Amino acid sequence: MSETQVFEKVVEILTPYAKNADAVAEVGLGTSILDDLQVNSARLVDVVLSFEDAFSIEIADEDVDKVNTVGDAVGLICKKLH
Amino acid sequence: MSAAERVALGVQRTVGLASAVVWIPAVVGLMRFGLSWRLDGTAAARARYRELYAERRPLLVCANHLTMIDSALVAWALGSPLWYLRHFGALPWNTPERRNFASSPVQRLLVWLMKCVPIERGGERARVAQVLARVTHLLARGESVLVFPEGGRSRSGRVEIENATYGVGRLVQALPGCRVLCVYIRGAHQETFSDLPAHGDRFHVATAVLEPTSALRGLRGERDIARQIVGTLVALEERWLHARQ
Repeated sequence: MSETQVFEKVVEILTPYAKNADAVAEVGLGTSILDDLQVNSARLVDVVLSFEDAFSIEIADEDVDKVNTVGDAVGLICKKLH
Repeated sequence: MSAAERVALGVQRTVGLASAVVWIPAVVGLMRFGLSWRLDGTAAARARYRELYAERRPLLVCANHLTMIDSALVAWALGSPLWYLRHFGALPWNTPERRNFASSPVQRLLVWLMKCVPIERGGERARVAQVLARVTHLLARGESVLVFPEGGRSRSGRVEIENATYGVGRLVQALPGCRVLCVYIRGAHQETFSDLPAHGDRFHVATAVLEPTSALRGLRGERDIARQIVGTLVALEERWLHARQ
């Protein structure tokens, strides 16, 4: 799976959790998941579990702690996939 | 957690203890006489808490959250001022929202004295994880810690299981054998969330103990445990609603 495909899938998963629709429309690798997309921090774990299901990977707590932007999530998933 | 952070927590505890003779009676006196609040059900809650504390195993206190003063109310419900002065370790550490309670130097000093480790709810997970590491350290030492597993005050006035924050599951998973004391506390006039309970309000206090476990690993296990805890608070609330009707 290419990085672009991972990015598209990540955005698709994040979209229902994002409260800021404008930020979703302009989402990029540097977009902050909590600050820009305004995903509820309590729901971040649900987002990560959706990543696990969608990409058939397992993500550790310590890895989740490093995910701040969409790019961080894409990078982490690509690392797990390859 | 670094050695410096451990020392800092030890200093905080020591200074808090040294000044406790002033601030514990002052806080409880303000609630009892200044605001004329009364608690019902404290005898059973305090007896249960004393037993749990005496075992000196990790003990996490999880409460419902409707007002800004809930942490003080829960502590008061679980022990008398005199008992806390004799057993300062039993006074639960607390993790207030930094923006609400630690925005000025005076507030920062007060929350520091009162065994608080401010947390930035909704902040970056790495920063939240640092606070959770401190809390885990305190629990592992046999100190009790109070957290609100809903993350913030319930906007609906009811315990909201869908708002369960999984940090509480992370704490329990990190400490095998950790017991959880669920505390449901609610003023008779408390219909929904507010800054403070009504003057002269009378509070219902109910507790339940559980030792949550999960066959699931990692984040799924955290979610499972958090839901068990919040589910217990929901059950306590339903019992209260049923008794009220």
